[in-house]
Amino acid sequence: MAGRLPACVIDCGTGYTKLGYAGNTEPQFIMPSAIAVREHGGRFAPEKGRIDDLDFFIGDEALSPAASNYSVKYPIRHGIVEDWDLMERFWEQCIFKYLRAEPEDHYFLLTEPPLNTPENREYTAEIMFETFNVPGLYIAVQAVLALAASWQSRGVDQRSLTGLVVDSGDGVTHVIPVAEGYVIGSCIKHIPIAGRDITYFIQSLLRERESGIPSEQTYEVAKAVKEQYCYVCPDILKEFIKYDTDGAKWIKTYQGVNKITKKDFSCEVGYERFLGPEIFFHPEFANADFTTPISEIIDKVIQQCPIDVRRGLYENIVLSGGSTMFKDFGRRMQRDIKRLADARIQLSETLSGGHLKAKPIEVQVVSHKMQRYAVWFGGSMLASTPEFYQVSHTKAEYMEKGPSICRHNPVFGALT
Amino acid sequence: MILLEQNNQIISEILEQKFSNVKEGGQPDKVNVNFCDFDGVYYLLSNPNGDKSKIRLSIALKFFKELQQHGADTLLQREYGSLLVTPEPQFNVTLEFDLNAIPNDYSEILRKASMLKRNCFASVFEKYFEFQEAGQEGQKRAVINYREDETMYIEAKPDRVTVIFSTLFKDPDDVIIGKVFLQEFREGRKASQTAPSVLYSLGEPPMELRDQPGARVGDNVGYITFILFPRHTNKKTRDNTIDLIHTFRDYLHYHIKCSKGYLHSRMRAKTSDFLKVLNRARPEVKMEKKTFSGRTFLAS
Repeated sequence: MAGRLPACVIDCGTGYTKLGYAGNTEPQFIMPSAIAVREHGGRFAPEKGRIDDLDFFIGDEALSPAASNYSVKYPIRHGIVEDWDLMERFWEQCIFKYLRAEPEDHYFLLTEPPLNTPENREYTAEIMFETFNVPGLYIAVQAVLALAASWQSRGVDQRSLTGLVVDSGDGVTHVIPVAEGYVIGSCIKHIPIAGRDITYFIQSLLRERESGIPSEQTYEVAKAVKEQYCYVCPDILKEFIKYDTDGAKWIKTYQGVNKITKKDFSCEVGYERFLGPEIFFHPEFANADFTTPISEIIDKVIQQCPIDVRRGLYENIVLSGGSTMFKDFGRRMQRDIKRLADARIQLSETLSGGHLKAKPIEVQVVSHKMQRYAVWFGGSMLASTPEFYQVSHTKAEYMEKGPSICRHNPVFGALT
Repeated sequence: MILLEQNNQIISEILEQKFSNVKEGGQPDKVNVNFCDFDGVYYLLSNPNGDKSKIRLSIALKFFKELQQHGADTLLQREYGSLLVTPEPQFNVTLEFDLNAIPNDYSEILRKASMLKRNCFASVFEKYFEFQEAGQEGQKRAVINYREDETMYIEAKPDRVTVIFSTLFKDPDDVIIGKVFLQEFREGRKASQTAPSVLYSLGEPPMELRDQPGARVGDNVGYITFILFPRHTNKKTRDNTIDLIHTFRDYLHYHIKCSKGYLHSRMRAKTSDFLKVLNRARPEVKMEKKTFSGRTFLAS
């Protein structure tokens, strides 16, 4: 502890908020971004001369029975803060109840989604500097942090801030190209397939086949099956044959306890082991409206980007979020994208009549251990470097110039 | 949340998870977590020499030397006993948990571990409460620089214990909100007869500290004096008093911040109200209006 206390890193996502101190590999708290407040007619109608602005719960407590008389709200929608009053109170408890940090002593690193508005950054700065008196603040883009998180799996000389981030959480999957630390906003694509869809798909498969699972527990069972047994296969057809010929080796059994009767039950886990994650690559299995495989979307996104960064993007495709944790997910994606890229080069070569030879495109999908909390981990890593303290906006600067300083947060960390 | 919690949730959550994992027969895994608490307290949870079956919890307090003068070591020995080991370098107190020797009901250990900071603090209060009970007078005043620029003074008299906090407001607005709060504390005795009496002074130290060298003076310095009577310092209520008073400074600053948050949300509501009024007041643009069939209404 060289004099300075570690910075606080708070990553507020639509579903979950990850908070902790910089320098750690995992966030200390992961909780739903929910706040339970008392509702009455007018927003600030006091009851018997009292103000109940401190009467609220956040996180898991907001969803617990203790908060049953309160109404639960989610101040963040699609990654962007919608209700600043609630957000301010949410942070209040994040800092004082969970982190137990005196905000005057710690620098703060907050995250924002790509395409966040500069005004929102100003609001954030206002709250952080004026309410909490933080000494310094840095607002980082989530995709850039996810890129930074992948550094620890590779050599020091390969630390680049150019890359394509595939961020797949529970609700939605984003494909975000980043060039030199700046998000190419016009090329971002969203895929309506993510963790929850896989769970639903497995649930439906299990429901059709297994009768032993209590009906009110099917979702939890499907989720557990997804997390424990699922993996990505190179070829579905071969995989089906493997299961049919050598079932004993591949088919697993899931043991569970019925929550109501407390009796044990078990069910077989078969094809869903590889069919679940397969819906990324064959979305038509689960969703009739959306049929483009993830690898094709990634390829399309890269092709839309400026031509000078395309190679860099192909070389550094970074996974982030819990739904990218399936075994061999990265390898399969790398193979599929490589095929698309090679086919395109092949085509241009034949079209040119064999006169032009293109340098083959190198495709690399980076998987690493910190994928689940990649954004938070990237933040924690960057916030523990001395450079972080140089690029953060300080309180003095804020008082001098006002919240507009936070509109721009310099990129740092890359070897340039 | 009106009162701050006494225990540190990070400690209890991590240890709970590790202990229950071992109890369920899981393999212990590596721990290396550093985190903080109020008053610049710094913790490290780690495995000693990479031995995964043991977990060490170390705490560093900048003012531990001052606490040691007031018997912190004896109190920690009493509370933690065999858990205490030689402190790691740069840390003041280290507890070690052997995962193979955790009792089945580990809730008590968890509770104690998460109260580590409070127990470090408690010694100085207990000592002076004892003095008061024994009626000893003329003891030297205890001075604890619990934060940079902020100090706590404790003094025992036969009929009371005086605790004086000095605190520094970093923001000019905080001085004003803080003053309102402190005024309310002084009025607190009207609401509840059993409350300790509270005095405050802004800018300069109170009379008791006139002879104290190094007591700060300045516009943004506040002094809060608590006079604790035997009712608060007797053996039964002592623990509660310590719980509350050792976080007082953080409590005060927490509430200042919450009130600012509340003021801000009122300001936001008011601004949007005003914006509505402004939008309504926008003069209507004069232009020819047409009906769907193309006829016009002429202003007459």
